Amino acid sequence: MLTLSRISRSYGDTVALDGVDFVVPDDTYMSLLGASGSGKTTLLRLIAGFEEPDHGEISIHQTRIDGQAPHLRDIGFVFQNFALFPHLSVADNVAFGLRYRANKALNNDTEIKDRTQEALVLVGLDGFGHRGVSAISGGQRQRVALARTLVCEPRIVLLDEPLGALDANLRARMCDELRAIRQRLGVSFLHVTGSETEALTMGDEVAVLANGRITQSDTPDTLFSQPRTAEAARHMNAWNTFDGTLCDGMSVKGEIAVRFDQMDVSAQGRAPKDHLRVHAQYLTGEFNGPTALSFFRAADGTLLQIIDHLSQPRLPDLIEGQHYDLHFPSNALRQFHGAV
Amino acid sequence: MSAFSTDTLATSAQTAESPALIRERKDRRRALGLLTPGLIWMALFMVLPMVMVVYVSFWTQTTFAVNSELTTASWERFLSSPTYLSAIWTTLRIWLIVLVLTILVGYPVALFIGLFVRNKTIQTALLVACVIPFWTSFLIRVIAWRPMLGTEGAINTILLKLGVISEPLTFLLFSEFSVLVGMTQIYCVFMVGPITFMLGRIDISVIEAARDLGASFGTVFRRIILPLSLPGVMVGSIFVSVMVLGEFATAASLSGRKVNLLGNIIVSQVGSLKWAFAAVAGVVLTIIITAVIALALRLVDLRKEM
Repeated sequence: MLTLSRISRSYGDTVALDGVDFVVPDDTYMSLLGASGSGKTTLLRLIAGFEEPDHGEISIHQTRIDGQAPHLRDIGFVFQNFALFPHLSVADNVAFGLRYRANKALNNDTEIKDRTQEALVLVGLDGFGHRGVSAISGGQRQRVALARTLVCEPRIVLLDEPLGALDANLRARMCDELRAIRQRLGVSFLHVTGSETEALTMGDEVAVLANGRITQSDTPDTLFSQPRTAEAARHMNAWNTFDGTLCDGMSVKGEIAVRFDQMDVSAQGRAPKDHLRVHAQYLTGEFNGPTALSFFRAADGTLLQIIDHLSQPRLPDLIEGQHYDLHFPSNALRQFHGAV
Repeated sequence: MSAFSTDTLATSAQTAESPALIRERKDRRRALGLLTPGLIWMALFMVLPMVMVVYVSFWTQTTFAVNSELTTASWERFLSSPTYLSAIWTTLRIWLIVLVLTILVGYPVALFIGLFVRNKTIQTALLVACVIPFWTSFLIRVIAWRPMLGTEGAINTILLKLGVISEPLTFLLFSEFSVLVGMTQIYCVFMVGPITFMLGRIDISVIEAARDLGASFGTVFRRIILPLSLPGVMVGSIFVSVMVLGEFATAASLSGRKVNLLGNIIVSQVGSLKWAFAAVAGVVLTIIITAVIALALRLVDLRKEM
C-alpha cells in the first residue's frame, strides 16, 4: 500500500501540490485524472524520488520512502516518452535493471536471459529482443518500456500518461492489455492521465487531482454518477456545473451540477412545471457520430452542454441565437456543500 | 473509345517528360550548384598542393636549391636518420599524452556543463567562458606559460614560499612537461565542446529511467552516460589529434628546443630551404594524421551515433 500524506511541492511561486492525501491500495489499478498542469507528473516524480516534496510523507507498507535515493525505492516508472536506452537492444533494455541494479543484481546470464524473455513474452514482444530500439514502432517501444519496468518486480508501477504517444487504435488495445498484465502480476499500477475516458476505463479506482489536491477518489461508476465536488464533476466532462441561482422553480444555493444527458430543452415557458429551469441561448451544435452536443449560454455567461443520443433523439429543432428553457427533474441535480 | 483515350494518354506520357523527372533533374542541378564552389576550392587548395608535396618529396635536394630530377634520396635520408625517426616517435607520444590529458581534464568539465547545468543560458555562458582564452592570440597564450612555469615563475615562487620545495623545480619549463601543459590547456576546449554537445542531447528521462531501474549514479554513468557521449569524445579526439599532430609553435616556444615534433622539422627544413626534405616530413605527417582519423572513425560509427 502506497500512502501519501499532506504532500506539498511548489516551484517558486507556483504551487503544484498543496497537501495531497492519497492512498493506492495493494493489487489495484488506480487511475489518477487531472488536467494538464495539475501536478500529476510532479506527484509521480515525488513518489519515484526524482524530486522531493517540500512537506509531507510518502510511505510504502508503513515504511517512509521520501528522502531515499530513487534507485533504492523499488518503484517502477514508465515514462510518457518511454525513455528507452538508445544505444542498447530491446533485450538489453529489458535486462538493464536485473543486471545493473544496486540491490540484488543478477550475475547469472542464463537467469537474466530467461527473465528478459519472460518479460518480452508477457508484453507480446517475443522475438524482438535483438532489435535496436530505434527499429521498432511506437507501440512496441511502449511495451519495451513496460517490460523493462515489470521485469524488476517493483512494489508499485507508476505510468505517466503511458498511452499519450500512441494512436487511438493502439491506445484501445493497450488499455485492455495493461489491465490484463496488471491482473496477472498482482502489482498495483498508478496510471496518470488527462483523459477521463481512459481513467474511467482503466481504473479499478479513479482519483481526481485538482487545485493541487486529490478532490475525490472512488470507483469509476461512483465517481461518474456521484461526484462529490464540482471539480470532480467538471473532470468527468459530462456535467454542467453552474450557479444554483440561475435555476427557476426552486431556490438552490451554491454551485450545482446536472449531467449533460439529464437536461432537456423546450421552448420558453413550455417546460414541465415540476422541473427546474434555466434560461439559455442556443449557440451551436456539434455532431460526433453516435451523439450530438448542443451548446447553450446561460444568463451569467456559463456554457451549458446537452448531449443527445442518435438512437433516442429528444431535443426539438434548435435555432442559433434563440432562447430556450433548459429543464431537468430535481433528482438529477447534484449540490455541493461549501466551496471546493 | 476508352481504349483510344488510354492510348493517347500513354503516348503523351512518353513524349512529354513527367513532372517527377523534371523535378528530379532540377534537384540534381541544385545539388551540383551547391557542391561546385567547395569542390573547386578543395581541388585548388588541398588536392593540388598535396599532390605537389608528394611530387616535391621526390625532387633532388642540393644545399641551397631543389631541382625536379626525381630521386628517393630525401626519403632514404629521412627514414634512416635516428633524429627524424625519433621525431616521429616524439610526435606520437606527445599526441597520445595530450589526447589523454584533454579527455581527463575536458570530460568532467563537459559533464558539468552538459548534464548538471540544466539552464540553457548558463550552459551557453559557460561554453563561451571556455572560449574566452581564444580572444587573445595563440602565441600569447603559449608564451604566458613562461612566467607561470619558469624557475622564478608563479608556481615555483608559491611552492618556495609555502616551503614545499627548497629550490626551484627546473623541469617545469623548457621541457616536455611544459609542452604537455601548454598543449593540454590550449586544446582542451576542443574536447569540451563536442562532448558537451553530445551530453546535452541525452534525454534526462533516460538517466532517470536507469536510476528508477535501480542503478546507482556510478553505474548510470558507466552504462548510459559514457556510451552515449562517446561520439562526442571521438569528435573531440579528432579535433585535438589533427591540431596536436601538426603542432610546432608550442614545442618551439616552451620546450627550449628539447622537444622536436614533425611540425618543428618541417619549419626548420623550410627555413633552411630544404624543400624536398620538408615535403618528406609533410607527407609522413599527413599519412600519420590520416591513419589516426581513420582509426578514430573505425572505433565509433559517427553516422549512426550523431
